Amino acid sequence: MNLRLHIWRQAGPSAEGSLKAYDVNNVSEHMSFLEMLDVLNEDLIGKGESPVAFDHDCREGICGSCGMVVNGVPHGPERKTTVCQLHMRKFKDGDEIYIEPWRASAFPVTRDLVVDRAAFDRIIQKGGFVSVNTGNAQDGNAIPIAKTDADRAMDAAACIGCGACVAACPNASAMLFVAAKIGHLAALPQGQAERDSRARDMVLQMDAEGFGSCTNHYECEAACPKGISVEFIARMNRDFVNASLKG
Amino acid sequence: MKLNANIPDGPIQQKWDKHIADSKLVNPANKRKFTVLVVGTGLAGASAAATLAELGYNVHAYTYHDSARRAHSIAAQGGINAAKNYQNDGDSVWRLFYDTVKGGDFRAREANVYRLAQVSTSIIDQCVAQGVPFAREYGGYLSNRSFGGAQVSRTFYARGQTGQQLLIGAYQALSRQVGLGTVTLHTKKEMMDLVVVNGKARGIVTRDLKSGEIESHMADAVILATGGYGNVFYLSTNAKACNVTATYRAYKKGALFGNPCYTQIHPTCIPVSGDYQSKLTLMSESLRNDGRIWVPKQKGDTRTPDQIPESDRDYYLERKYPSYGNLSPRDIASRAAKQVCDEGRGVGPGGLGVYLDFADAIKRLGQAKIEERYGNLFEMYERITGENPYEVPMRIYPAVHYTMGGLWVDYNLMSNLPGLFVLGEANFSDHGANRLGASALMQGLADGYFVIPYTIGGYFAQGGFDKVSSDSAEAKQAVAEATERVNKLLSIKGKRTPASFHRELGKIMWDLCGMARTEAGLKEALVRIPKLREEFWRDLLVPGSGEELNQTLEHANRVADFMEFAELMVTDALHRNESCGGHFREEYQTEDGEALRNDEEFAYVAAWEYNGVGVAPTLHKEELTFDNVHLATRSYK
Amino acid sequence: MRPFREVWQSTIFTKWVMAITGLLIVGFLLGHLSGNMLMFLGKEHMNEYGVELRSLLHGAGIWVVRLGLVVIFVLHILSALKLSGRIRKARPQRYAKVTPQESTLAGRTMLLSGLLLLFYLLYHLAHFTWGIVHTDFYAHNVGYEYTLANGHVVPDVYKMVVNSFQQPLISVLYLLAMVFTGMHMNHAIGSALQTLGLTNHRLVPVLRKAGVGLSIIIAAGFSAVPISILIGIVK
Repeated sequence: MNLRLHIWRQAGPSAEGSLKAYDVNNVSEHMSFLEMLDVLNEDLIGKGESPVAFDHDCREGICGSCGMVVNGVPHGPERKTTVCQLHMRKFKDGDEIYIEPWRASAFPVTRDLVVDRAAFDRIIQKGGFVSVNTGNAQDGNAIPIAKTDADRAMDAAACIGCGACVAACPNASAMLFVAAKIGHLAALPQGQAERDSRARDMVLQMDAEGFGSCTNHYECEAACPKGISVEFIARMNRDFVNASLKG
Repeated sequence: MKLNANIPDGPIQQKWDKHIADSKLVNPANKRKFTVLVVGTGLAGASAAATLAELGYNVHAYTYHDSARRAHSIAAQGGINAAKNYQNDGDSVWRLFYDTVKGGDFRAREANVYRLAQVSTSIIDQCVAQGVPFAREYGGYLSNRSFGGAQVSRTFYARGQTGQQLLIGAYQALSRQVGLGTVTLHTKKEMMDLVVVNGKARGIVTRDLKSGEIESHMADAVILATGGYGNVFYLSTNAKACNVTATYRAYKKGALFGNPCYTQIHPTCIPVSGDYQSKLTLMSESLRNDGRIWVPKQKGDTRTPDQIPESDRDYYLERKYPSYGNLSPRDIASRAAKQVCDEGRGVGPGGLGVYLDFADAIKRLGQAKIEERYGNLFEMYERITGENPYEVPMRIYPAVHYTMGGLWVDYNLMSNLPGLFVLGEANFSDHGANRLGASALMQGLADGYFVIPYTIGGYFAQGGFDKVSSDSAEAKQAVAEATERVNKLLSIKGKRTPASFHRELGKIMWDLCGMARTEAGLKEALVRIPKLREEFWRDLLVPGSGEELNQTLEHANRVADFMEFAELMVTDALHRNESCGGHFREEYQTEDGEALRNDEEFAYVAAWEYNGVGVAPTLHKEELTFDNVHLATRSYK
Repeated sequence: MRPFREVWQSTIFTKWVMAITGLLIVGFLLGHLSGNMLMFLGKEHMNEYGVELRSLLHGAGIWVVRLGLVVIFVLHILSALKLSGRIRKARPQRYAKVTPQESTLAGRTMLLSGLLLLFYLLYHLAHFTWGIVHTDFYAHNVGYEYTLANGHVVPDVYKMVVNSFQQPLISVLYLLAMVFTGMHMNHAIGSALQTLGLTNHRLVPVLRKAGVGLSIIIAAGFSAVPISILIGIVK
């Protein structure tokens, strides 16, 4: 199939960016979306032009490196699928495809489709952990954990930190990402000791990073390649206020 | 050079405890005076960086990713082994040790493997305490599954995302230390070289992938946890950025490279679909429990699978290995698939694939049962191939998955270069010639959480650490060399992209140094690789500059090292005149086509010393002695 | 330990303020609506209600309610402005193409509908409470009076309402405002439940549906009065 791509090109963080059109021909339906961009890039390099920069690594949908907004949807039209696992059979001959980076002031563009997501790491550094030094641990079976709790923790922990939730949110809010981490640890007995301080510190750091606030559109859940539920946001809202009222 | 593995004396069960007791300690107040650089933030690197910081060392951690949570450890699906014996099924440290040595085809160091089995139980405890959501039974206790190469259930798992959950656990521990200011995290920084001062590893040179800045960082010890080199094949299940640069540069600075030819090929991956293919995707081995593997009996049979009657099908694994059948071990199943494809009986585009057919299982158990067992895998397969495996048999083909070789290290995980420690897949240590499933995660975390924190203290306690700065001649020279190399890559301005060279190199390696190797083929590779390398340095095209985010330049820099490393790998494969685990030489097989080990001549670790580009490296041998496990031939008939 | 100021300034706390004040406003609207429904019971009931409202707690009651409402509305509006200012800064560069997956038009236009409703509210107060627009129909100005069954002479609120809504412009503006009220509430109630952290799997879906139902009831209920007057059922 032949496609026309409109790709956001931006030479650097402070450079002006714009959408540029590229025609790609003879695209196989078996290609992944990123392989289609690989082919475009090989072509651009051959012509002496600068290839389109985009983050990617495992190409198995788990590392969370890749991410771009494809036709107005983060990671593209297939639900619960990262863009590296999106295949060209979801498109048809003659399609025009708009490809843009995650857009949020907390995720400044590094180049083209690459954004800096260090804000996520700084939020985790404020409390997204259990303070247990190596060697402290008791036997793994010392505390039984109800299967439902373990499963809920896993549902939240499935987050790959890609940032699609921020990209999808009309407000560029990071609530789903932060809620997933808070919800993961709050579901487990190991997370209880720091439950209050974690919720408080992580939310305040999220605010400090300049993410927008949540107005419950649930675009994040729709965009999340792991399908993490917005229920975790409700839990975080409760945990945060609960923690705050305690002083 | 005499290789000393520094294995402690005494019975194998007491070696580690004795070693800990005998090691000198560093006073808590003095620990912060020691700076450690940790390169790589996968399971081994993140766990080491976090733990060393908890102990009080001044730690700097480096990753070329934008976050410490993205290393390829994250993609491990199956699980992590530990000798907990929660299932009461007869597991023990000894049994895990034995299975691992045997699974590694008797090419691993006994003492290291025993220690690995010993600390495996603490890993699970630590991870549970961190909040890793391992699968649990309804009673609230940890769940186990069984895995290849073992007769007990000792594999802990978190859905199909065990690697992700363990890495996030380590990342959280690391993030905590970053927040406390005890670890300085350097993201988007790629190691370009090792700085050796007075024979000791004292620093690294990095390139900032965003600004292009090349600088040196000095310390008292350097830990490499930079993963494996499977991407020398271009197509592998590794992540795109995985590379050999860090370990290869250390090798060029004098560290020995151990067993580079040991490569694990995983039998169940989704086949290549075209020239544009960028990587291969693994399908869990568990599918072989219910799927039947077959190809047409006739070569060139173009009928669709449903048109091929039973009488025209060859269920070759069931035919050749009646007792294990479709559940034959990874290396055997992989080679058998290659064989039928080489005969021209492969299926799918390009003829590089075999059917993994669930029709019988669906008939026997019903679609609902199959969906319950493998639903998510079937979905993934359909997402990638566009074919519905409930209706059409899956197509699979083996792919490079893991590399057992790596930098040579002693019992302390220190290379022959004092102060250079190597952890996880980057070292050669615990898996011998073949790694068992669910053991990679175990080794990465064992090294990082429970081995290096002890052994590095012993090294520091020896003293003799003069201050070295980035102004030292060695550091300046290493920075100058790295800068020159980047400039050289940019200035060739030829016609071919790094990816095209990488693909070509990968093809040579896969054809001649892949699943089955021959002396003639390896010798051919030794002719073709230098030629390709020469062309690389003559005709490479890298657009842009070195002072910006330039992903083509990053790739070119990695491919440049693969071009040299490939030769080392082939040299090792050529010298090892036997077949063992992930190294199969066609000349050395039994009448039935099984691997034929040569314990008389090759029961050693081949540790190679660098002598220059294109110059044959020097072989050093660490003889392996098996005092606790009897050498035996594996059989799966 | 964090100073309370930090918590107070956090987005989630602001959202709680927004949600709680919003739900209180819904409560007020229900009260208001029940009063309006007296229009259908006739002049006597409506005008009596008007007087009773003003005489609660010897006349202080209405001022307590009014003050409370002012505080609630001000907090609601300030929270909205604070959050929306933040949102604008959070994405300075818009997407060239946006394809909504889950969000609704009502949800995405909360600020707009809220601002429009604020303007309408001021106009509505200016009309029926302060008597500074449409002064021709303000009971006190034009001396509409009504004698209750108990003999008391009171302002004829009923007549004021009927005469006002017989003007098509006033009715149309009112009906438009009710469309926006319905939209605003449609998103608001479910949203408030989420913000306040309700996660009960049986209860939440029911409450969400109830919220949508309530928003329709309120918008339709308020609209019933002008429509009935326009078509002459109430006169």
